[in-house]
Amino acid sequence: MFFIINIIMNLIFNTIVIVGLIIMLFIKPDLCMSTILSAGGKTVNLCISLLGIYAVWLGLLEILEASGLNKIVAKLLRPIIKFVFGEQNPKASEQIAINISSNMLGLGNASTPSGIKAIQFMDDGSGRINQGQTMLMIINSMSIQLIPTTIIGLRIANGSLNSSNIILPILIVSILSTTLAIVLVKLAFKFLKRKK
Amino acid sequence: MSNYVLPILIVALFVFAIIKKVNTYSVFVSGATKSLTLIADIFAYILTIFIALELFTASGLSVYFCKALSPIFSVLGIPTELTELIIVKPFSGSGGLALLTDVYQKYGADSYISRCASVIFGSSETVFYVATVYFSKTKIKKLGFAIPVAMLCLIFSVIISCLICRFI
Repeated sequence: MFFIINIIMNLIFNTIVIVGLIIMLFIKPDLCMSTILSAGGKTVNLCISLLGIYAVWLGLLEILEASGLNKIVAKLLRPIIKFVFGEQNPKASEQIAINISSNMLGLGNASTPSGIKAIQFMDDGSGRINQGQTMLMIINSMSIQLIPTTIIGLRIANGSLNSSNIILPILIVSILSTTLAIVLVKLAFKFLKRKK
Repeated sequence: MSNYVLPILIVALFVFAIIKKVNTYSVFVSGATKSLTLIADIFAYILTIFIALELFTASGLSVYFCKALSPIFSVLGIPTELTELIIVKPFSGSGGLALLTDVYQKYGADSYISRCASVIFGSSETVFYVATVYFSKTKIKKLGFAIPVAMLCLIFSVIISCLICRFI
């Protein structure tokens, strides 16, 4: 799969660089190099604002992790996880809880290892994807985030006067799309069972 | 109202951490230090997306591209200005970030388009990254209908993002 993303990004990059530059050579050749170099400047600007945002939030998130608050959230989520994922072995359900709660709290670096472990614990060794794994992957793709820290920071950096007014819409949209995902996965696996 | 949420949460976090006897000062510092390696990791990815984006707009390719997609997008109520963001986000999170800031700078951070972009960016993850990394330690090669269902939900979330930003 990693291979496929690489191929797709490679394809986008190559096509745009070659086709874009050839078109520009015809219409405005004098701007070719300045266009490419301005990308470098923009990257530095963005990375510096991101560095500021990440530094503050990663510091706060470290406190959150050290205080054990994420484990409390994981415990609170357990009944919901049991409902969505059905009966799973205790090791898997623990990792699922950590994965989903750290996603909700914006602890991106904590959610990846727990996600990998949860998928491993749910694996039945058949080489085929099962319902729990599909569910976890899709719920992660829709990501319910309680506090979209990076977006708020970037909006402030770009002069927003009401940077947090997107918290509520993001919450509503991600809850709706996650619900749709859960329903679709449950329906799809019911359909598969009947077919067999 | 929403301006009070984060500061109150941060105060609550500090009070909770102090009760739990966490040395907040040194823990904060060690967390904040990690931001440097994080930026070093994504810097070049952001650069490639910016090069592509600059060429895409300067050459006029984006105009044709948006024109081709605008009939579909207008039916679904999605602004065509967000085409690049919607296409790149499922593949590359850092690329998505670059495109998001580009939208902020072009249209102003508080405009309808920028708020749509924020909600679209915030309500989905990089589907293909999740699919790749999460299954990296299993023998599973085919993800069945996981990817199609994820894409369907993604389209759904983009449509309601744009819809909800009209009202909230």
